[in-house]
Amino acid sequence: MGFSAAAAGDGAQLCVFDLRRGQQEGQELDKILFFHPADCPILLQLSVIGLCEGIVTFTRIFSPEEDCEVIESEKRSQVFYQAEPDIWMVLVVEKTKDNESTWRCGALQGILKEAHSLFTMFHGPIRTLLDRQPSAELARGHLRTFLTDYLSDFHVGKKLQFPTYRDSLKERGTIQMLTVPREVALEVQSLTTVLGSCLGNVTCQSLILFEDLLVSTTLPPDDTLNLYTYAVLRLTPRALSSNASSWSYLRKGTSVNAGPTSSSSNGTTAGERPLLREKFSKGKDGFVAPDFAATEVCGAVPLTPILWFQQAEERMYLCIYQHKSLTILLLIPASSLINREEGIAHVKKQMLENASQKIVTVEQKLTRGWGGENAYHVSGYRYLLVDPDRRVSRASPPGKVTTLAKDSLLALNRLRQEVDLEKSRYRRSDPCHDKDFEVCIRTKNNTWVIAKITRGRELYMALEKGGETLLYASTAVEKFSNRYCEGAFSTD
Amino acid sequence: MDPPPNPNPNPTDAQPQAEAGARLAALSLRGGRDLPPDFEIHEHHLDDDDDDDEGYLTAASRGGSSTCAWKGLRDDDRDGDDVSPPSPSSSGYAGERGSSLDDDPEPEPDPEPAQDWPRDKKHLDEDDASSSWRKRKKHFFILSNSGKPIYSRYGDEHKLAGFSATLQAIISFVENSGDHIKFVRSGKHQIVFLVKGPIYLVCISCTEESYEGLRGQLELMYGQLLLILTKSVNRCFEKNPKFDMAPLLGGTDAVFLSLIHAFSWNPATFLHAYTCLPLAQSTRQAASAVLQDVADSGVLFALLMCEHKVISLVGAQKATLHPDDILLLANFILSSESFRTSESFSPICLPRYNPMAFLYAYVHFFDEHTFATLLTTRSDAFYDLKDSRARIQNVLLKSNVLPEVQRSLHESALHVEDLPIDPSSQSASQPPQSSRDMSSQSLSSEMAIGGPAGLWHFIYKSVYLDQYVSSEFPSSISNQKQQKRLYKAYQKLYASMHDKATGPHKTQFRRDEDYVLFCWITQDFELYAAFNPLADKTQAIKMCNRVCQWVRDLENEIFVYGESALSW
Repeated sequence: MGFSAAAAGDGAQLCVFDLRRGQQEGQELDKILFFHPADCPILLQLSVIGLCEGIVTFTRIFSPEEDCEVIESEKRSQVFYQAEPDIWMVLVVEKTKDNESTWRCGALQGILKEAHSLFTMFHGPIRTLLDRQPSAELARGHLRTFLTDYLSDFHVGKKLQFPTYRDSLKERGTIQMLTVPREVALEVQSLTTVLGSCLGNVTCQSLILFEDLLVSTTLPPDDTLNLYTYAVLRLTPRALSSNASSWSYLRKGTSVNAGPTSSSSNGTTAGERPLLREKFSKGKDGFVAPDFAATEVCGAVPLTPILWFQQAEERMYLCIYQHKSLTILLLIPASSLINREEGIAHVKKQMLENASQKIVTVEQKLTRGWGGENAYHVSGYRYLLVDPDRRVSRASPPGKVTTLAKDSLLALNRLRQEVDLEKSRYRRSDPCHDKDFEVCIRTKNNTWVIAKITRGRELYMALEKGGETLLYASTAVEKFSNRYCEGAFSTD
Repeated sequence: MDPPPNPNPNPTDAQPQAEAGARLAALSLRGGRDLPPDFEIHEHHLDDDDDDDEGYLTAASRGGSSTCAWKGLRDDDRDGDDVSPPSPSSSGYAGERGSSLDDDPEPEPDPEPAQDWPRDKKHLDEDDASSSWRKRKKHFFILSNSGKPIYSRYGDEHKLAGFSATLQAIISFVENSGDHIKFVRSGKHQIVFLVKGPIYLVCISCTEESYEGLRGQLELMYGQLLLILTKSVNRCFEKNPKFDMAPLLGGTDAVFLSLIHAFSWNPATFLHAYTCLPLAQSTRQAASAVLQDVADSGVLFALLMCEHKVISLVGAQKATLHPDDILLLANFILSSESFRTSESFSPICLPRYNPMAFLYAYVHFFDEHTFATLLTTRSDAFYDLKDSRARIQNVLLKSNVLPEVQRSLHESALHVEDLPIDPSSQSASQPPQSSRDMSSQSLSSEMAIGGPAGLWHFIYKSVYLDQYVSSEFPSSISNQKQQKRLYKAYQKLYASMHDKATGPHKTQFRRDEDYVLFCWITQDFELYAAFNPLADKTQAIKMCNRVCQWVRDLENEIFVYGESALSW
């Protein structure tokens, strides 16, 4: 019955469709570029996309300049993201009877944005693929493997499970940084310089991660975010050890092998599956490379991945080097290499020769100063700090957030939803200026849930064991701001 | 254009989608066609047109039977989120309002006489192809589940048949899958749906109101419809799914327009409480006593009201009147000219009391503002109620109630400037008007920033009494645009505090560019207060406490409180 039937088995649907295709009656199927679950009956797929297209067209009657964001019904939320002009991604999530399926539209949209950004980094824009091959076989093939592998991270048992209210102190699409003392920062700086000169006259870019935290980057913010996200999903030591329980928002606790996407993947270009789990493994030389056995069926030597960096406007090869908890992502401009694999081998050799010692030193110093998974825990506070301009966030460790009562998290989720709406209202009314905003709520269960935006930076908080008065909450925010945010959220 | 109803929908069938698609395609084709030149001319300003209020002054209805009788209301339809004054070319309407709308923040004391207003504010010349129509800030639609238009705030329902069918297609598409659509959000636009059996209600708004707020407004629209027709209208749809309901509502446009207008000025629409006219306890007791007397002789409810404010109300034993019913009833009476011109006996339904049945309302206006409503279940009670009314009138005249009501209407409002500095030093029974006199000399310095500690305004709701009292707006919120913005902020605050899953919360502090807002909910009361955005938190909290004390000190005057309230 209805298109809900298809989703029932999986709890969710994800589709990508192109409104420029299939405009003739009877050709509607041609619009669909990707649909999960793949075994969903065609009529149901058409039904989902038909409603989405109808609503997109309908809302444009009133707001031609703005995209449809969500259709909310009693049993499901359908979240929209126009990834590229006329190419839409829609996530349909089913609600359960309890409050467990309470989520935030912005958080679900973040998944679509992240999936598209990563896809573009590996395969380029979808429109370019469609232009290159108008039959859309190429685009469909890449989307099928890529998105299926991406979705595997959300599998819990047989169902897809997306972030809920329990994740309201996390922010997808941001980087988590490691705070480094000045002395170590100088060492890192020096290492970055050495990494940059591995190719000789052309500068290489690099990202350095410690555990799942970013230490340094030479890329612009958006490109950094994409590569960082990828690294935390698949490349850091935690990501590589398949059964590790992750504390990063980017990874779920359980690791489920996506397995072969579908036996019907004929016609796709086999091989290019950067998100396939366990594709990478660390070699003896310290470099992380695609695993022969786990991936390619064609038997060819796996090639060094090449990525497209939108902000840097450059294609670059990615070399991954790992030393204990330190992961180095070295990026070699594609235009600077005449012979791909030879050139890369040369760079790797240079890197080992010139940077090995520095890498060891940096790793040692970082490990010595590292406070572990709870390094950024602040006693008494459950918080999330977001700097959207720098795409950086810091939050209470998830292990600590789980101690919050369900009602506190639900209230926080609801507050964040309100703040999301206020933020977009502000953006529409005056995109150039940040507007300050503050809300403190004393909930039914005596928790303070707080949101404060000051000069574009955002702070969300839940204080469960606080005093009753509003002044208590204000003082708590003030203390936190002064001690951990350089006074960014302080009143004076 | 009206599709046949689908009693046995097959959800897997792609037909609904195809139908919806076809309709949407038809819509976009219509949108693409060349518009008549008059639309093009005023297109630039319609964006600024405040639809929120527009139309409430218009009593002209489809049937053309009603006329405007809004002498008491101020000319607030012109404000809103306007940035620039509407062009004089706008259907001849704006021109009459003069050209200095925004230059003059004071509302005009004496609006244009009713007959000078143009035909109506429904903009019957518009339809979904008009860019002017598309730019209206807030649309309300009522349609049947077969897609037949029943009511539209703007445009001619007949011309909107195609649009209505599209709405029906969207709703039915989701309904057919065993689900119910709640809302769609697209940028600043929100489309909120409410399905009530065979009747669909839709609001399309870019007013930034919350989903809960807009849904509540649709509920009231539906309630208003039931008040006129009762729920038994559903039977007509059972007999004939293509039943055309619009004619049944003929002549009631003004009622809906007035209700829609209330959404932006009347806190009762979201507080689910009613407000009373401040009166000395003895005056109110005199009124209550005679109402009680009348109620004992077979009247179900007896209400005495001044405009939207209750003077006294009495119910027969065990019968209770829901605040929403009071709101809808008062709206119905005050927006229908015929009630003012003669004593009336009219069938009405109180949707919260019994949505299935009609009651009979005897309505009589004692003066321009004050009226009695006697509700009975007996359709033949006109003469009995007429006699009862005469008795009431006698007592009101003898006890000097009506002049007191007039005086209160003009003088008794609560002003934040009058908030006692030290509550303990104020006499508990001091009527608000005298405290205003006392402090009037020192007002000038406070007026610039509102009341003490930057207090601008408050609403206090007594949970136990289902009644609220709100202060007058200070000079810092003098124009309608500012007042409406504050009400919207209160509405959001209310929705946030009363969240279904987690609420009601206990307190909330909210600071943005426009205000500092406070909300405080206890078992006994809810306080909503607005301060200057730079207000000091500590001082503001003190003020809230003082407001609560002040209201408690005055409760005998500002609430219907006592024997009459306890008797039902």
